[in-house]
Amino acid sequence: MGRLILRRLLATVPVLVLVTLGVFLLIHLVPGDPVEAMLGESQDAVAKETLRRELGFDQPLYVQYVTWMGHVIQGDLGRSVRTHQTVLDNVSHRIRPTLELAVFAMFISLCVAIPLGILTATHRNSAIDSFGTSFALFGICMPNFVIALLLIFVFGVTLRWLPISSFTDPFDDPVAGVRSLTLPAITLGLALSAVITRTLRSSLLDTLSDDYVRTARAKGLSDWAVVRGHALKNALIPVVTVLGLQLGTLIGGAVITEYIFALPGVGRLVVDAVFARDYPLVQGVVLLITVGFIASNLLVDIVYGWLDPRIRYA
Amino acid sequence: MAASELDRAAGRVTRRQFLRTGVLVSGGVVLTVACGQPAVVPAAPTAPAGAQAPTSATPVASSRAPKKGGTMRVGFGVDITTLDPHLSGSKIDRQVYHNLYDPLLILDEKLGIQPNLAESWQTPDPKTLILKLRSGVKFHDGTDFNAEAARINFDRMANEPKSVRKGEVANVASTEAIDPLTLKINLKQPDTSLLATLTDRAGMMISPTAITKLGADLGHDATGAGTGPFQFAEWVPDDHVLLKRNDAYWNKEGGPYLDQIRYRPIPDDTVKLQSLQAGEIDALDYLAPRTVSLAKADSNLVVIDVPSLAAFWYVLNTTKPPFNNKAVRQAMAYALDTEALVKGVYLGVGVPANGPISPSSWAYDDAIKPIARDLAKAKALLAEGGQPNGFSFSFEIINTPFGVQEAEVVKAQLAEAGITANVVPVDGARQLADGNSKALEMTTYNWSGRPDPDGNTYQFFHTTPGVSLNWAGVSNPELDKLLEQTRTVSDHIERKKLYSQAIQILRDEMPALFVVHPIEPKALSPKLQGYVPIPDGMLRFKDVWLK
Repeated sequence: MGRLILRRLLATVPVLVLVTLGVFLLIHLVPGDPVEAMLGESQDAVAKETLRRELGFDQPLYVQYVTWMGHVIQGDLGRSVRTHQTVLDNVSHRIRPTLELAVFAMFISLCVAIPLGILTATHRNSAIDSFGTSFALFGICMPNFVIALLLIFVFGVTLRWLPISSFTDPFDDPVAGVRSLTLPAITLGLALSAVITRTLRSSLLDTLSDDYVRTARAKGLSDWAVVRGHALKNALIPVVTVLGLQLGTLIGGAVITEYIFALPGVGRLVVDAVFARDYPLVQGVVLLITVGFIASNLLVDIVYGWLDPRIRYA
Repeated sequence: MAASELDRAAGRVTRRQFLRTGVLVSGGVVLTVACGQPAVVPAAPTAPAGAQAPTSATPVASSRAPKKGGTMRVGFGVDITTLDPHLSGSKIDRQVYHNLYDPLLILDEKLGIQPNLAESWQTPDPKTLILKLRSGVKFHDGTDFNAEAARINFDRMANEPKSVRKGEVANVASTEAIDPLTLKINLKQPDTSLLATLTDRAGMMISPTAITKLGADLGHDATGAGTGPFQFAEWVPDDHVLLKRNDAYWNKEGGPYLDQIRYRPIPDDTVKLQSLQAGEIDALDYLAPRTVSLAKADSNLVVIDVPSLAAFWYVLNTTKPPFNNKAVRQAMAYALDTEALVKGVYLGVGVPANGPISPSSWAYDDAIKPIARDLAKAKALLAEGGQPNGFSFSFEIINTPFGVQEAEVVKAQLAEAGITANVVPVDGARQLADGNSKALEMTTYNWSGRPDPDGNTYQFFHTTPGVSLNWAGVSNPELDKLLEQTRTVSDHIERKKLYSQAIQILRDEMPALFVVHPIEPKALSPKLQGYVPIPDGMLRFKDVWLK
């Protein structure tokens, strides 16, 4: 297990270097710079040059990259050009709503998808199965923003059951917090639950036709005991893969949901930073999201090993 | 009719109850909308829609006494960018500043200039402005406001490297504190527009103690920095800005009544309106054109068409082909159908523009009509400019759904004259960079406007070498002379004449195609009382209270 983790960690180094270099080049090659974005109305060319020099933007790109990398290795992600706060400070404030949303969305999607996946697999070609697969198709096809606007209109404006734009941190006020995150979490979780339902259904169908399942049935175990005790654990491996990949996507890709529901998350932070050409902030946030992505994949690998010991030794 | 909406018990949204078209409710104030009918727009000094609008300071429920307490929740389209007025280049910041900081002078409903932190002013000669400051005013951190504090603010605006106020105080040679309550401002050249400038960010006074103590942190922490009716409590970016009442406010007349103001950015226009309908906010900064009819259809909301000082135009870069040819620029103006744009894209939330000065301004000349579309003339001018078969150019726009929609209509209109617009959607930072380096051919420019017409003209159309907001690169000696002259005259009637001449030159020189003077519709909860709309669109909450 230790070797597996070590091997995976070493493999992340080139990924990190490539991602940071890519982001660095992209954001610097886009026209416009943070000084123009900040001093747009000002006509003082000298002040702009001074500021550029002060922030180090007058250096050649490779020098800027190496300087930045040097600081990153020492754990210093720099400061936002615009707000002068450290990148870590910025992210630590903003990652909470995003993580809360991602975890809640994942929770909702698992609550829906695991029973639905099992039911559709065990009742293949029945009405339940048709319902489950239609639901999955709907969830995958419906764009986020359409679902969000529908939910807002029905539950926020018409029925007034849930707030639509008043984010509260669940750790400050659990009831208001969960209420404020419900609509965004459903929006974000729907597509995920659809994917998981489908994945679980097909992998469970595979497993249910395996020899050991037939053996278990032959021993006289009930259908439920077979699924719970024998088939489900093995059928979960592809589900865990999907979850691991999706956790990364949820963290980095909740931008639209955060935008519509006015959540102060990391997705909006990075979009604003791009518009302001806040180089250190964009680079820092993308680096951290990448680390998060890698970490969630690493977690998946570890869970694999636990679910299926054969993988540890492969 | 106003009373029924105002007294309605708070409850479920009854949709599809249309307010009578064109009649809006502003608390007890009944306003006439100017949508699509330039003739209705008051030309002279204007309050919200002229004659019907009473100018009482508390237009709402005058029989009821204001009530102290409550939190005002305001929805913004975007988050503020900084809490430091000297470094701010974003319009939304001003919404917060007008409650947190006090400007030296203040605007009334007719855009007249009234005393505020400065009790009175005099100009012993055209190059000297003497301000008598109010005594007994303290910043939120306890520091005294006096002439020395004001002098430090002027110095910072001129010398701080990141200052965005440099242009506004460019004409100030020096400032002296003659005595603790007298500030003398020495000007490089006569500048009658300076007084109006001091009603906004350039006149907002920051505590010298806060400037030294907070330094660069002032941008995100304005604790103790202002003198305004509300003081800074906290800013959690993209979540909320919280202000609380300043009980020690110097002006004991009226408010502040509210305990707190909580500003919250809600980026999606529809969701912002829906948050108001669902009762999660009490007011919003402005309604996007496509949400105006939705808001007006909801009888649980109060919608006010606040006139604005804004002018939206398309800059034509006169320094390089194809727009270095005057006839070609004029052809563009005749090929464009601004009336159709205002009706179809702006959905009547504004009037076609006749120049850079808005109908809210005293300098607006309603004798000058917006340029009417004339395709035959456009084609003749194209031929005159050596492009009889049309030409193609790149049209840089801001990449928003609205911006793209607008550009598509423009493209279709110009195509009828044989002109091909290649639409290039970019973001704000790229547009700024391209504009400042004059790398673009034509682009949209949405100017929020300034109370003095100088702020809508000089910096954009006066000859300025090097980097400037004169993205068109226009340089016309006659125009320069007029724009300089307006700064030396203080009489509004005289100045208006000069501006009318300047606009005539602009319409011949055509460094920009003037499109629309938008209005700034605001939607409010009926609980909100005592709001006085001022044509700069700012929500000043000093005298506002919640029912």
